[in-house]
Amino acid sequence: MIRVVRIVWWTLGVLVGGIFIYAGASKAFNPVRFATDIDNYKLLPWSFAVGIAFYLPWLEIFSGLAVVLRKFYRGGLLILTLLILVFLAVTIAAKVRGLDITCGCFGHASEHWSFPQHLAVDLAILIGLVALFGQELVGKEYRPGNEGR
Amino acid sequence: MTFVVRPALLLMALALLPAIGEAIYFRDKISWQSPIPASEVVTVDLAESWGENAIWIDARPDEEFAREHVPGAISLNEDRWNELLPQFLQVWSPEKKIVVYCSVQSCNAAKEVATRLHEEAKLPNDIRVLQGGWEKWKKVTSRR
Repeated sequence: MIRVVRIVWWTLGVLVGGIFIYAGASKAFNPVRFATDIDNYKLLPWSFAVGIAFYLPWLEIFSGLAVVLRKFYRGGLLILTLLILVFLAVTIAAKVRGLDITCGCFGHASEHWSFPQHLAVDLAILIGLVALFGQELVGKEYRPGNEGR
Repeated sequence: MTFVVRPALLLMALALLPAIGEAIYFRDKISWQSPIPASEVVTVDLAESWGENAIWIDARPDEEFAREHVPGAISLNEDRWNELLPQFLQVWSPEKKIVVYCSVQSCNAAKEVATRLHEEAKLPNDIRVLQGGWEKWKKVTSRR
């Protein structure tokens, strides 16, 4: 039973981490496009948008890898949770301000997502991250590598 | 708390390395000062010096164009793109430079119109966005 539960947690970690690795990679190779996506929100000066466009995709990739490979695992979970909260906040803020723009959070894949689709995906990822965090802090016996001691 | 924050800080520091490398690699392809690369922008003075060799495009909404615009400018905005583009093409010439402007430096409309002229209309012209937009043009020309 413990083995099955452990596989479930491992799969969830790979899935969530993998989503961020994909999201980061899809943006890392086109920072110009991502900077324009950020600029469309009109929340930050252009120079900040450029800085974020260079940095954020790599932060997603490294944090995603940390969750998948379980190295610096808690740090990865913390960063990804904060990132998804930011994505949720900017998506909602854009909707409230009546901006008809793509989030850009998941590169080209999210280009044609509607607002409810964005919200649903972001919330599902947030739930996954919170669950992983909870499991890490509370349910240590199910952690891969820990034989239930 | 340290057991969460420390690995997070380490990951943040690690992510800086490729980000810096990428910023160096893309240094010629993106400007930190403006969304539009310097090579695609033109100052009011330079654009004015082109005289008859330039076509001016007003990318602002119809009402703003109707209120006031650069003398000789043609209205071409995204709201009525399909309607206005054929009108613009009637006066278009492949040899002339094209100067697109919107209200101010931060407006996006001029950049969008310039991009669409290049990518959708496939115009071979030298297409520039006016630095500072309509506000800057008014300021500069009123001083003369």
